[in-house]
Amino acid sequence: MSTLAENVDVVVVGGGPGGSTVSTLLAQRGHRVVLLEKEKFPRYQIGESLLPSTVHGIGRLLGVTEELEKAAFTVKRGGSFRWGTNPVPWNFLFAVAPELSGPTSYAYQVERMKFDDILLRNAAAKGVDVREESQVTEVIADDERVRGIRYTDSEGVPHEIRASFVVDASGNRSRIHQNVRGERIYSDFFKNIAIFGYFEGGQRLPAPDSGNILCAAFDEGWIWYIPLSDTLTSVGAVISREHAAKLQGDQEQSLRGFIDRCEIVKGFLSGATRVTEGTYGEIRTRKDYSYTNSSFHRPGMVLVGDAACFIDPVFSTGVHLSTYAGLLAARSINSVLAGDISEDRAFEEFEGRYRREYRVFYEFLSAFYDMQSNEDSYFWKARKVTNLEATDLEAFATLVGGVHSGEQAFTNAGALVEEFQKSSAGLADAVERTGSMQTESGERMHHLFGTPVVREVMTEMNNIQVRGVRGADAFEAPLLEAGLVPSPDGLSWTEEAK
Amino acid sequence: MTASLSLERLRSDVAEVLAEEPGTFADDDNLIDRGLDSIRLMSLATRWREAGFAAGYLDLAQEPTVKAWYNLVEAQR
Repeated sequence: MSTLAENVDVVVVGGGPGGSTVSTLLAQRGHRVVLLEKEKFPRYQIGESLLPSTVHGIGRLLGVTEELEKAAFTVKRGGSFRWGTNPVPWNFLFAVAPELSGPTSYAYQVERMKFDDILLRNAAAKGVDVREESQVTEVIADDERVRGIRYTDSEGVPHEIRASFVVDASGNRSRIHQNVRGERIYSDFFKNIAIFGYFEGGQRLPAPDSGNILCAAFDEGWIWYIPLSDTLTSVGAVISREHAAKLQGDQEQSLRGFIDRCEIVKGFLSGATRVTEGTYGEIRTRKDYSYTNSSFHRPGMVLVGDAACFIDPVFSTGVHLSTYAGLLAARSINSVLAGDISEDRAFEEFEGRYRREYRVFYEFLSAFYDMQSNEDSYFWKARKVTNLEATDLEAFATLVGGVHSGEQAFTNAGALVEEFQKSSAGLADAVERTGSMQTESGERMHHLFGTPVVREVMTEMNNIQVRGVRGADAFEAPLLEAGLVPSPDGLSWTEEAK
Repeated sequence: MTASLSLERLRSDVAEVLAEEPGTFADDDNLIDRGLDSIRLMSLATRWREAGFAAGYLDLAQEPTVKAWYNLVEAQR
């Protein structure tokens, strides 16, 4: 069979939020972009709780704000946590104070089938050549760089596309990422698995928190409780990987058991029934999902989203990290294709920012886990930062230092543990001062937002929101030492004007 | 460091993010009542940080008036 060959500017592999973001932002600069998605959308996906920077920052850059509003997703003003020493849930709200809860301080809980489909259709509407049911079979590369890909379409016909850049946004199960060379480093600290299903008729938190995600710790781990609609709830238990074998058996019984041992979720689901038919009728599991690749790019190819890295879902970071990386990759590729910035410099910025974002969330989430103390629990004792193991520290040093990052690498494991402990203590203190949800102090996030680790986590998310809302009027200083700054339209990089 | 942040500069930057003319609000007006939201507050904090004013978004949110912010600038000189 002869292979049909084409030439384009960029091939994007994968039609999830990362792939849709990068391809749309490239097409907006007039580049010829082909996006290959192996499935037919809409399709199921986990990762349903979003953060404001995706909705109001990335969403505006993509021009999809009104469509998201029309979809009438559940409005999320933050997260509610039964976590740490307070027996009553406390809130981590997106607005620092009720009087500042303007139009950008909320996110959505989304059915990913709908959300991802909106972004993919939007990509096509903005000029991306979207091809579903197209399975990439091979990355074409030589010693110098990646040159393109081969794929098979829905009829089984093989195709070849040559491109200046290949973006791998094909998720955590695909193997294409191996073409950037380097290895995938799994986190020992977040050595968890998740088992999840869907319920009709679960209770809601009282207004105005009824749309919040609830994360509730229990002896064996923690449970997410995400209100996808007035009646549909996504419920998942995050537990130790040691349970993996047990989950091969009766999944229904396993999930029920975890729910029954988590008091608040058990109560919320007392009058609910598990969905047993259709897309949401299945109980699913996911394991080994916290990892980072040692390299995110090589000449001609770049990794975005779960293809590059993922971290524990307790703070709803999945879609944020993917769409953020999509934005960074688009900026770098747009800069190189325009001849403005060298490929080395553009991707040094990409990798430096992406690794920084992963690092600050890693530190934040380690501190978050450390806060939940339970001396009788194997799960929680193993997740104190004092137990960060050598392999994890090594992985961490690699990803922080990165080959390309301008940031200083931690070389001393002891100093690193000490820093994480400080972050954890600061976070625990802020949580205590904030107090329970549905109280006056519990509505004000000054303490939480004021801790160094939360400030770091918020930096780029705030920048993206300001960029989305204020456009060319947004002002951004370089994030990295001697780094680049976004262009006025936010779609590429420029050298800082002195 | 904060020499470039005059009272006039604070007023004109605030006016710009609120899309109003300088002089349409008083130095002690609560700017949240004038339409200042978190995004605009963040963009002011970023802009002024570049001018050497070390107050962050949260410091500005404590008392959102031009007068209070200028006092913070003065305190850093």
